[in-house]
Amino acid sequence: MPESPDTTDALLEVEDLRVSFATRGGVIKAVDGLSMRVGRKEVVGIVGESGSGKSVSMYSIIGLLRDPNVSITGSVKFQGREILGLSDKELRTIRGRDIAMIFQDPMTALTPVYTVGWQITEQIRTHTDLTKHQAQARAIDLLAEVGIPDPARRVNQYPHEFSGGMRQRVVIAMALSCNPKLLIADEPTTALDVTTQAQILELMKKLQETYDSSIVLITHDMGVISEMADRVVVMYAGRPVEIGERREVIRQPLHPYTWGLLGAVPRVETKRSRLVTIPGNPVSPLNIPAGCAFGPRCAYRFDQCDERPPITGEGHLDACWLSSEQKVDLRRKIQEVTVES
Amino acid sequence: MSDDVLLRATDIVKNFTIRSGGLSGRATIQAVAGVSLEVRRGETLGIVGESGCGKSTLARCLVQLMPATSGTVEFNGSTLTGLSRRRLRPFRREMQLVFQDPYASLNPRRRVGDIVAEPLRINKYGDAKKIRDRVTELFEIVGLDPAAVNRYPHEFSGGQRQRIGIARALALNPSLVVADEPVSALDVSVQAQVLNLMADLQERLNLTYLFIAHDLGVVRHVSDRVGVMYLGELVELADAETLYTQPHHPYTEALLSVAPELDDGRQSGRPRIVLSGDVPDPSDKPTGCPFHPRCPVATERCSTEKPTLVSISPGRSVACHYPRNLDETMVSHETKGS
Amino acid sequence: MFSFVVRRVISAVLVMFAISVLVFLIFFATPGVDPAARIAGRSATPQVLAQVKHEFGLDRPLPVRYALMMEHLFIKQDLTSYVNIGDPVVPQIMAAAPVTISLVLGASVIWLLVGVAGGVVAAANRGKFIDPLIMFLGIAAISVPAYWLGEVVNLITQSKLHSSVFSWVPQSGYVSPSVSIGQWALHLLFPWLTLAALYAGIYARVLRAELVNALNEDYVRTARAKGLSERRILLRHALRCSLISIVSLFGLDFGALIGGAALLTEVVFGLPGVGQLTYTSLQNLDLPVIMGCVMYGAFFVVLANMVVDILYGFLDPRVRLA
Repeated sequence: MPESPDTTDALLEVEDLRVSFATRGGVIKAVDGLSMRVGRKEVVGIVGESGSGKSVSMYSIIGLLRDPNVSITGSVKFQGREILGLSDKELRTIRGRDIAMIFQDPMTALTPVYTVGWQITEQIRTHTDLTKHQAQARAIDLLAEVGIPDPARRVNQYPHEFSGGMRQRVVIAMALSCNPKLLIADEPTTALDVTTQAQILELMKKLQETYDSSIVLITHDMGVISEMADRVVVMYAGRPVEIGERREVIRQPLHPYTWGLLGAVPRVETKRSRLVTIPGNPVSPLNIPAGCAFGPRCAYRFDQCDERPPITGEGHLDACWLSSEQKVDLRRKIQEVTVES
Repeated sequence: MSDDVLLRATDIVKNFTIRSGGLSGRATIQAVAGVSLEVRRGETLGIVGESGCGKSTLARCLVQLMPATSGTVEFNGSTLTGLSRRRLRPFRREMQLVFQDPYASLNPRRRVGDIVAEPLRINKYGDAKKIRDRVTELFEIVGLDPAAVNRYPHEFSGGQRQRIGIARALALNPSLVVADEPVSALDVSVQAQVLNLMADLQERLNLTYLFIAHDLGVVRHVSDRVGVMYLGELVELADAETLYTQPHHPYTEALLSVAPELDDGRQSGRPRIVLSGDVPDPSDKPTGCPFHPRCPVATERCSTEKPTLVSISPGRSVACHYPRNLDETMVSHETKGS
Repeated sequence: MFSFVVRRVISAVLVMFAISVLVFLIFFATPGVDPAARIAGRSATPQVLAQVKHEFGLDRPLPVRYALMMEHLFIKQDLTSYVNIGDPVVPQIMAAAPVTISLVLGASVIWLLVGVAGGVVAAANRGKFIDPLIMFLGIAAISVPAYWLGEVVNLITQSKLHSSVFSWVPQSGYVSPSVSIGQWALHLLFPWLTLAALYAGIYARVLRAELVNALNEDYVRTARAKGLSERRILLRHALRCSLISIVSLFGLDFGALIGGAALLTEVVFGLPGVGQLTYTSLQNLDLPVIMGCVMYGAFFVVLANMVVDILYGFLDPRVRLA
């Protein structure tokens, strides 16, 4: 497991990213001050529920937000180079080549009227000088690498001739075709069955080793985070509320939202009498409360929480006004309650 | 039929004809391939399985929402299969369905109060006032503000919509509630709320649940007994506790071993069994045991001889020629990672 | 794929048969109508009436009458119009067909080019000024009736500005391409433009809507993530998928027009096509000709449907299973 990367080693550095949409109903602050770092060969998990801004943040970084009413501010450095504010033409040389992205639903991710081989070679030939023949050969190699049987034949098949799990493999193959340094995966296994999910996660881990790349894994599933991530960013209402090494965040979480999130997950191996619930609903981006966004739903809210807490800490950061002693104390109480079954 | 069995299904088979590429243009798919089970009064029977296993189709056949191709369903001692629509009606009040998609299962053009009142009206529950009072009562039971009866579904969140769906299902005091993936489309924190609500309701109103889901953690949390389905067949049935700690069927074992677990030091330590191949298509069923092409311990016999669901100990049945983890004292665990 | 095609052909043949029976019943079995009088025309003598009765077996059972009618129409091709005494029906239609085909072919090329270009430009520039402009032009073209537009075009080119701007426009009428290709095209120029206007408007609007939908699809998001240019995404991904519905629309429109639906355009521009033939035979109540035109038109619509279905299978690989 890699150590916490220092600044010189960071592949991706996000500083105070803010993404907002101007709509008739008001300004929607989808991402409100995200700062995070992705090191080389690292898997960073971004976890949150709907409205957390986890997907929008990554879309905004590589220029996938096409809404003319969007405003993106902050700093995003990829391999030391500032990429926020680049023209689309310049971003296109990075997108698909150095930074690749895969999405949630494999059933609709591929263009239905072209063969998978055509679609993979299209990407290869956009970013490299390979001939059609060479690109086709590479496509077949890629399909074999992601575990598609009989790749030389299947490269000429259409997406609908593949099952969901197979299609996700094709999508992964396509994303890796130009050896990206960073792969962003937006809920890549949410739409898949458990057994297929296991295969895909295993594949991603294996490929990460082979390709020496980093992964940003966006998900709502803490279990998937546990299997894949080195570090975790927990988001709520567009803000990061906790960032740290995976094991620390899961075993010694410091933010009440994280406590709630971990407590709400029904465990496979032990039966709990009652699930911990966070009262109310995930916050709507149109209605983010002043001060701490989680305040209205937090059982430990106090006066200080009228002011928005900054995210602070060394190595393991959190955005909560409670003192360290209070956090440790409350957490212990909660964990005692949840362990009993 | 013993007094505590509320619903009994015997050998339910459901076939569908679909359009295919051949010249005749048709093919038959067996979505449910002979499933027998009992749901006991007051319990929660969980049915877990992946896509294509037939669990949703089975649920609909049990509740008589669609006719089974063959097999019988008995409710409280009376046979339901083959009854005319008129005769079936009194039973429909006893069995209700809660659906998966809170965004699709409520008519967007109707007020939520009317949606919940509809079963009351159809069954001539009483006059307008009585119905209104009952709707208010139902809203309170599921934790919604009764003042909201005049709003439309789109004004509510996913979790709230699911509560409305539950209120609708409870309107006529059913004894059996079949919940088909009721929390799959909800955020984790909301999911917890709805699961807690369903547990509370079960206690208060003496409900029996048939709970269908693909999420192993959710099924474990709610169920007393669990059935595992694969390609239209029930492959294992046991108490929730023992199924999860000591699975007998290789598929159950594999499924449990790859369910992502929280890295909090309390993992089960199961060895990981990652199955090869895809979750199969019901239109392409293998011969013999449906699981044999992906089974890590399959033999020649498994491809020709289909195993039947047999009871191997009290309360435990499995459909396998080579059930796993049979002798408790001899099982060894290799740690999965800690 | 082969079985897909075979199934489509078989169903087309069955539909044609059903249409022929239906047409026959409408014309010959409507209660209260004496078919003999209809066929013979208004000024028929008793001898002609008797002859008609015999020829068409009007005293024989219905299926026999049907068989005889079909025989006259298709095999012997000697069904004659009694209004224009002795003029055989089928050759009339066959002579008129090339005119209609010329008109529709030319117009369809124009409307496809203009419509597709319009839709693509509007979708690529959605939100900017040119987008609503194209949509407005489109709806204007759709709203203007073809016969009115045709008459106005004639008014301008044939009389008002004939001596100045449009002196090169010939008299209305048709010149066969075997006589002179140049004259053929020149005579058809304004009819082409008039007929194309309506359809170009429809196609531009439909295509724009389809493209805007396609651009919100997941596969377009994947294409963007791959680093493809917007232009390539629009033309190679979105357009290719949207063309499927345009193609099926086109097939049906083309089929209907070849079958004589461009009636009013032909009349206004004096083109002796199937549409005009249908028009005049309706005015004269010339039953055999009407029947012939209906069958002819129906045939092309069914054929067009079948071709479109098969073409769909080529364009959208997912459909081949059905």
